[in-house]
Amino acid sequence: MKALILVGGFGTRLRPLTLSVPKPLVDFANKPMILHQIEALKAIGVTEVVLAINYQPEVMLNFLKDFEAKLEIKITCSQETEPLGTAGPLALARDKLIDDSGEPFFVLNSDVISEYPLKEMIAFHKSHGGEASIMVTKVDEPSKYGVVVMEESTGQVERFVEKPKLFVGNKINAGIYLLNPSVLDRIELRPTSIEKEVFPKIASEKKLYAMVLPGFWMDIGQPRDYITGLRLYLDSLRKKSSPKLASGTHIIGNVLVDESAKIGEGCLIGPDVAIGPGCVVESGVRLSRCTVMRGVRIKKHACISSSIIGWHSTVGQWARVENMTILGEDVHVGDEIYSNGGVVLPHKEIKSSILKPEIVM
Amino acid sequence: MGSSEESVVAVIMVGGPTKGTRFRPLSLNIPKPLFPLAGQPMVHHPISACKRIPNLAQIYLIGFYEEREFALFVSSISNELRVPVRYLKEDKPHGSAGGLYNFRDLILEDNYSHIVLLNCDVCCSFPLPEMLEAHRSYGGMGTILVNKVSPESANQFGALVADPVTNELLHYTEKPETFVSDRINCGVYIFTPEIFTAIQGVSTQRKERATLRRVTSFEALQPANRSLPTDFVRLDQDILSPLAGKKQFYVYETRDFWEQIKTPGMSLKCSGLYLSQFRFTSPHLLASGNGSKNATISGDVYIHPSSKVHPTAKIGPNVSISANARIGAGARLVSCIILDDVEIKENAVVIHAIVGWKSSIGRWSRVQASGDYNAKLGVTILVIIIKLMTFLYEPGESVLPNKTLNVSVQDEIIL
Repeated sequence: MKALILVGGFGTRLRPLTLSVPKPLVDFANKPMILHQIEALKAIGVTEVVLAINYQPEVMLNFLKDFEAKLEIKITCSQETEPLGTAGPLALARDKLIDDSGEPFFVLNSDVISEYPLKEMIAFHKSHGGEASIMVTKVDEPSKYGVVVMEESTGQVERFVEKPKLFVGNKINAGIYLLNPSVLDRIELRPTSIEKEVFPKIASEKKLYAMVLPGFWMDIGQPRDYITGLRLYLDSLRKKSSPKLASGTHIIGNVLVDESAKIGEGCLIGPDVAIGPGCVVESGVRLSRCTVMRGVRIKKHACISSSIIGWHSTVGQWARVENMTILGEDVHVGDEIYSNGGVVLPHKEIKSSILKPEIVM
Repeated sequence: MGSSEESVVAVIMVGGPTKGTRFRPLSLNIPKPLFPLAGQPMVHHPISACKRIPNLAQIYLIGFYEEREFALFVSSISNELRVPVRYLKEDKPHGSAGGLYNFRDLILEDNYSHIVLLNCDVCCSFPLPEMLEAHRSYGGMGTILVNKVSPESANQFGALVADPVTNELLHYTEKPETFVSDRINCGVYIFTPEIFTAIQGVSTQRKERATLRRVTSFEALQPANRSLPTDFVRLDQDILSPLAGKKQFYVYETRDFWEQIKTPGMSLKCSGLYLSQFRFTSPHLLASGNGSKNATISGDVYIHPSSKVHPTAKIGPNVSISANARIGAGARLVSCIILDDVEIKENAVVIHAIVGWKSSIGRWSRVQASGDYNAKLGVTILVIIIKLMTFLYEPGESVLPNKTLNVSVQDEIIL
């Protein structure tokens, strides 16, 4: 079976992290974002994954060689020379997605984190016999998104409504599709929107079905949602009683600590914290609702909450970092410094406090 | 009459509860003169300075507070410094000179040769022995301590012009609108007993003018015509200004620090100035430590002997910790005054703040202000029994007593 992951854009909303690596390679819960998806695909028997990207293929390909070997799955890139929207890349990768088997193929959006109930989706797709299946997820504020209006019992999709002003439904497109190869015949090789052009056509022919995604769902393409997404992800680990979650007197709630990380005395870690490989957390540190990426050193008595600390950065003694502070790669926050929502570009030293949210170049 | 011929009396004006409202909220809990700077009550500093004067025989504190508010302090400092200190309560406002005059019988009881007059809310090095020497050599009625300030700020004070050779006071204007001089009145004076004659003169003159002058009832309502009570005499406008240029008053200039302690923010700055002065006058009062047996100390720090500071904490520069405080492991204090019975728990950080009596600051909390002493919200002030959980304060909250703060608060005055 094949799959396509729409990687696309520059990841501007996740800057400064995406200034150092392409967005799919930004770590989430101690693993590159895209690896969560590739592993889920591998688990249900996908043999080849095509990444639809529009920049930096060299950086991606190096990583991918690594995953290919470890996971024993074939990973290729399909590079857009011009932006092709959300459907165009499928046409571009046509030859890779279709083979003689006639099997349907998955399409995933790389910013999405969820439980990936892909096996259930295959069963659903077979049972309704339609041309395309999409996952939808229930949200509190549907008018921020594109709403999928569907018939409740069969899941047959009636129509899509973009950012509706009046309530028409609370299910939105979760960015996970299972498509028959015939869908590719509907897509021309030009910038095309799958939600605005392709799916509405299939829906009008009553051949599009939607399945409600069980479990959590998050678009982690921007920092605030990244941090919420981590909470949901760790929560789902807890529900599965995953042994990956850390425990101890210094741990509160759900915490992920890479085995190569070191944590000092008198710390209080959690809830909703991920500490990456090679990190050093010195004594007396308080971490909550934050991600600490590979190779970071947090010095004594520091306090970090609701923030993302980029690779190989350091946070000084008695520093306080909070309120959606994002530190890029190799950022060094001085002792006793306070950062309130600072967004700091890579390779910077912070020697004076950031009192209100701002970008530090 | 050998020794008493040259004996000196000092008078310190301490103000009252209705005055100095700019010192709130700290003055809601303690008379401003008793608020601690560098570990000692504000008025302790000028009193100790007076003690350095040879033949200082007596110190009076004059103010509007109730006598009981000063009773304990006065008896304790009299014992500590071995000099009689007495508090006198003014019954009504008499003006800056009138207050002195009001108690003249008491003050002149023992034929003092000189009277030192100080304002309690002045922070300076009080070079009184040197100033007394100078005063004797000038031979005038009074000598005024002056300080040079920036021309832009000079109009906030009393501006003086003095003869550069003789140091005679030539001209004096209180808070001039235009630039007069960059030398200002520090609020520290040395007088001979003739000053009382001068004050009486003003008083008498005012009485005579009041009976002579006949105004229409309309004119009488105008502010300019509203005459002051006859016993209300201001030192600046009524004595120094008219008598400038008449070889009565002289100036003595200090090059050391000088500040007025009008606001809580300034008290933090002045506490730091006195702490740095301790390095020269009383180094035994300053704390030291390098983290091995005692906490790490950086710069000038005072810690009351009854307070406990964990060895992993780092304190200073410019920190003053009062009695019975407990500073927990890994705490960090920079530029702050910690008052009695405060508890600062592990890993908390306090920067540019005054933490009031019995406050409790939770683990990993942060209390921080910008440190601009003159800005309205440049210093964070927490007054009494604040339980601070794990969050941050942004520049300058003033928090009034008995509040619990569980969430992050920024830039507010919390009632």
